Amino acid sequence: MTLPIWWRTDPTQPVRIGPRELPGRIWTASGCFAYGLSGHDIRSLDVGSPYAGIGAVVTKTVTPQPRSGNPMPRLVELEHGAINSIGLENVGHAEFVEAVLPALEERGVPTVVSLAATRPDEFGPMCERLAEVGRGFVHWHGVELNLSCPNVAEGGHDFGSSPATVAECVAAARPHLPDRLLIAKLTPNVAQIAPLAAAAAEAGCDAIAAINTVLGLDIDLETGQPVLPRRFGGYSGPAIRPIALAKCDEIIRQVGVPVIGIGGIETADDALRFFALGCAAVQVGTAQMRDPFAAARMAAALRPDAATT
Amino acid sequence: MGPVTPTPWDLTGRVTANEPVSTGLLRLDVALPRTVGFRPGQFAMLNLTGPGQLVFRRPFSIFAADGETMSFLYRVVGRGTALMAALREGDAVDCLGPLGRPFLRPDADTPPALVLAGGVGLPPLHAWAEAHKRPDDLICFGGRDGGDVPWSLLDDRWHVSVDRADGVPPGRQAHEGLVTGLATELLAAYDGPRLVLACGPTPLLRAAAKLARDRGWPCEVSLEEHMGCGYGVCKGCVVPVLSDDLAGWRNATSCEEGPVFDAATLDWDRLGASHGGVA
Repeated sequence: MTLPIWWRTDPTQPVRIGPRELPGRIWTASGCFAYGLSGHDIRSLDVGSPYAGIGAVVTKTVTPQPRSGNPMPRLVELEHGAINSIGLENVGHAEFVEAVLPALEERGVPTVVSLAATRPDEFGPMCERLAEVGRGFVHWHGVELNLSCPNVAEGGHDFGSSPATVAECVAAARPHLPDRLLIAKLTPNVAQIAPLAAAAAEAGCDAIAAINTVLGLDIDLETGQPVLPRRFGGYSGPAIRPIALAKCDEIIRQVGVPVIGIGGIETADDALRFFALGCAAVQVGTAQMRDPFAAARMAAALRPDAATT
Repeated sequence: MGPVTPTPWDLTGRVTANEPVSTGLLRLDVALPRTVGFRPGQFAMLNLTGPGQLVFRRPFSIFAADGETMSFLYRVVGRGTALMAALREGDAVDCLGPLGRPFLRPDADTPPALVLAGGVGLPPLHAWAEAHKRPDDLICFGGRDGGDVPWSLLDDRWHVSVDRADGVPPGRQAHEGLVTGLATELLAAYDGPRLVLACGPTPLLRAAAKLARDRGWPCEVSLEEHMGCGYGVCKGCVVPVLSDDLAGWRNATSCEEGPVFDAATLDWDRLGASHGGVA
């Protein structure tokens, strides 16, 4: 692959976002690389380890209580992407901070912890406890608020569709994370994303991650029923890349806040499109499920010295 | 801790053969750029290479590994396996493996095995039977009819059952009926406790688990679950296992905690209730 003439950044070199310096610009997206403890033993002839050159692993979303997730089937492949309804299966916040976060620190995995809650005020105590346990950790960089799940206090509407609620969530987390990166991850399932990003920035977040999955539904023609038991799911994969680019562009042009691009990034070329818009970093999602080395290979391919090899 | 397993590799290989071994089963041989070991019961995630590849790789139980060649048996059941069937000699294939928890390795204290392989459930148990040639094991394969049975792969240790007896070649014998019926007949003739190993359709696994449970025998089953990633990150292939949690059960990934499970740990009632994926 020949790199374009405008690309002179080494994505495996440190990058400062908010109060933190992270080891690179190619990250893995939440829900697509588990907690960052899987796949360490897998090898390849080219990049070696799936973690080589990765800027951060954004963990699978952690919630206040453990969740067993949704019934199967949870993940259905379509021609140009996949639709999922995993249901935020996770070990719960207590188990995560006691067992998983220290293990990530010990392994040296650059980590951003994804958090979700059913009420905005639950983010405060979760961040407070993370900061307590993670005090002095050098590989734990911060928190990404997953604001795309239903808000129980607001009758089940998504957190992410109201600027006031987005601001409330960010404001609940910020005081507990004075020296950590705080990211708000926004949903694309809104007419305009910039007002949400602006609300998050005003409430004190350091960066916006966009986008989460696109609301989708597919029908099994044999049965005439939705392919997922819960009817709707999150659509991801290469088909959503133009949607993601449009949403990132809207935020970058209208709100002065660093943006971390996500959505259908499968190749180094795809990542370059997000960097061309001005994204500070990108996250690799669905491609990471197919290929444990997706992010690592992208990082290697985007090094300025890679073009000559 | 699980048993020690060989290092998994993500490699691009070349197809050296892709041919039917029976009316329903095909054998795919892939030459990899290096030797990769496996333990019977483990699988690899396969995909086409480059444009046109599937969004997710597909899990294939490993049939054999000989030097740098890894072999698989499969049946065309959907889009992914249809694309696999169209592969020709020299075509590139992405191969991630070996992955997952294998069947147990027998030691001197392990009772003789009762092996029950149904249809495309053959590869891991064929590999197990090849790896552990113990004279007292009872090894059974169940196919749809005589044509569905890959006779050339089954030496005289194998007992065969078929749903319909047509197509059984001259000189070969097949029990007509379910493979579990064949097993019951064999168990009546050969006394003593057994380790039951099964891979195949869910009703077969259920019957194998019950057979073992009723007799107090150990049993391992390999689940053939739809998978997204194959290496534990997507949580798209979970099956319910019994647990000490308050709920009494929890989800286990069939790619990492399986595909081979101790049958006594699976929550069989919940597996039937919530489950659309086993084929």
